Amino acid sequence: MNPLALEGVEFHYPATETPALRDVSLAVAAGEIVALVGRVGAGASTLLLVAADLAPRITGGRLTGAVRRRARSGIVLPTPWTQLSGMAFTVWDEVAFGPANLGWPGREIARHVERALERLEIAALAERDPATLSGGEVQRVILAGILAMDPDVVLLDEPSTELDPAGARALWRLVRVLAGEGKAIVVATSDLDAVPDVADRVAWLEQGAVRALGTPDLLAEEATCAAGLGTTVARVWRAAGLDAPYPLTVADAVQRWR
Amino acid sequence: MFYIYLWPDPLGSWPVPVRLLALIPVAVAISLALSAAVEAVALPLFLDTTGTILATALAGPAVGVSVGVLTSAVNTLRNPTFWPFVVIQIIVALYAGLAARAGLFRSLRTAVPAGLGLGVIASVTSTPISYFVFGCTTTGGIALTTALGRALGLSPLGACFFGSFVSDFGDKAVTFALVASVLHALPRRTAARFPLALRAIGAA
Amino acid sequence: MRTRHPFTLLTLAAALPTLAWLLPAPAGALGTAAVAFGLAAAAGVRRVLIPVVTAAPFWLFLFVLHDLPTTLAIGLRITTMVASFVWLAAVLAPDRLVEAMVVRGWSVTVAYLFAATLSAVPLFRARARRIVEAQRCRGLSPRGSVANRLRALRALAMPLLLSALHEVDERALALETRGLRSGARRTPLAPPPDPALERAARWVVLLVCIAALVARLV
Repeated sequence: MNPLALEGVEFHYPATETPALRDVSLAVAAGEIVALVGRVGAGASTLLLVAADLAPRITGGRLTGAVRRRARSGIVLPTPWTQLSGMAFTVWDEVAFGPANLGWPGREIARHVERALERLEIAALAERDPATLSGGEVQRVILAGILAMDPDVVLLDEPSTELDPAGARALWRLVRVLAGEGKAIVVATSDLDAVPDVADRVAWLEQGAVRALGTPDLLAEEATCAAGLGTTVARVWRAAGLDAPYPLTVADAVQRWR
Repeated sequence: MFYIYLWPDPLGSWPVPVRLLALIPVAVAISLALSAAVEAVALPLFLDTTGTILATALAGPAVGVSVGVLTSAVNTLRNPTFWPFVVIQIIVALYAGLAARAGLFRSLRTAVPAGLGLGVIASVTSTPISYFVFGCTTTGGIALTTALGRALGLSPLGACFFGSFVSDFGDKAVTFALVASVLHALPRRTAARFPLALRAIGAA
Repeated sequence: MRTRHPFTLLTLAAALPTLAWLLPAPAGALGTAAVAFGLAAAAGVRRVLIPVVTAAPFWLFLFVLHDLPTTLAIGLRITTMVASFVWLAAVLAPDRLVEAMVVRGWSVTVAYLFAATLSAVPLFRARARRIVEAQRCRGLSPRGSVANRLRALRALAMPLLLSALHEVDERALALETRGLRSGARRTPLAPPPDPALERAARWVVLLVCIAALVARLV
């Protein structure tokens, strides 16, 4: 059975007429990475909140359809600063916040925290005060905090926005490592060029509904490119008036050229 | 300090929804941060009950009292003489709870008089505290108006009331007006998540 | 002093002003003021200046408004209060207090509210200052009629308040996903040591305060 499955989900935020999600069905297997792409407001963030069991429980609103969750999930929201616990005065304590709340014994907490700090490459920041960190550092601390809780489903909402290109690359590498360990991962991202190397499947959301679901080749198709959601290479190829099918990545384009 | 030793788990048996846990510290921080705005426009206001009143209008007087107590506690860390005035914050929260339940935040026309009413109550309550604990010397402004009152022939207690009345009156009216504006400016879907918000603006 | 258990520090800082009020003035108030100043000095000589500076305006106004015995009594009480709190702020580390609460089994709610409030205040103060700066660049100035200034105040306060409420939503989601549940048992990360001697000392201080209260009422 899949760690996460949404079936025919429709969701309304409180006091709003138009649904934020319409008839969404998505199943994610263990070890799979699914990327959610779409314009702002298309419903990717809402989908992640529903998957994380935060909507409608914390956000309010009403949900119809089924959400099946076999395992514990952790979600990283887009704005890093608002996710700091406010209860930790060092990065170490901040990352340990989640495990401590779960009531794990001290030694297990230490083990998970050390591992998470290593993976996000922030072990050097362990004694720093979170309030003094830069945006990118905070984002990594938050991600470490979620990973330290050892979730089986990892939900990421725009995880690379505050990171510089090197940081973003390291992040996507980490995402693949996590999938290799058997975690199910759903990522909402606008960093479309990274998607082909990272994701196993791509879901294109538009106005709360899944318009298309397939492999990353989706991002080189006419429809997505026309909507501004293709990879840069595909869009350039199309804009230059060259023939379909458009190449997905730089490597593909080089091959076609030769 | 007594109850800390006798009941080690004061709030544990009462589950607090996580949205209120998130609201309370932010409301306290608002009350204390608005002093920067007040200084910039050079008005003799405090606005240190804004968070208390806003939290009450959103989630009820119990939450408002927590915000008020915490606001006083943080103020006390900076200037320890403020602690006895926690009583004022509690009274403000209770009054705001009644005002919210009566939907008095539905327009400025109802909010401002409600604020003026609170100003009277607040100054009546703060005068005895100010007088008996501090000899009515709490802030420079109040002490000066108190001296003016004495010069005019009022008794010490009367002069003290005169001093705090002048500042409390306007402060509470402005605070109520500000809270009413914010409640109306909130998008409906955000306001709908707080139990009392829609009733406070007369929309429920 | 810093290594003492946080509850001990709190008890002492609360007891001194209480005793200053309960013990007969002005001798009692003088005694507690001396103790408070002594503690503050032990935490750093410069710290003694802060209570003096903070309490000075009070002494001035008291002198103007009241006769000498009242001035002395109230002035000393206020000074004691200020000095003990200055000392407390110097020696109490917030994270140790939070951990002490967690170890004692105090609900997560109280510990969280205390800690989160302390970290939220400087954050929002900084945000308010930024909004004021931005408006200053657009020509905000503390001049003009009261009505104009009220309008300007509204323009400064509304963005702060609205963004704060939006942030409450986000914070609630983040806290929930990280397992913060009111009433749940949280593992203490670095509990401060609490020797039996200190615990006994706290009780003694408490009893002294009660005795003073009884003596005052009788």
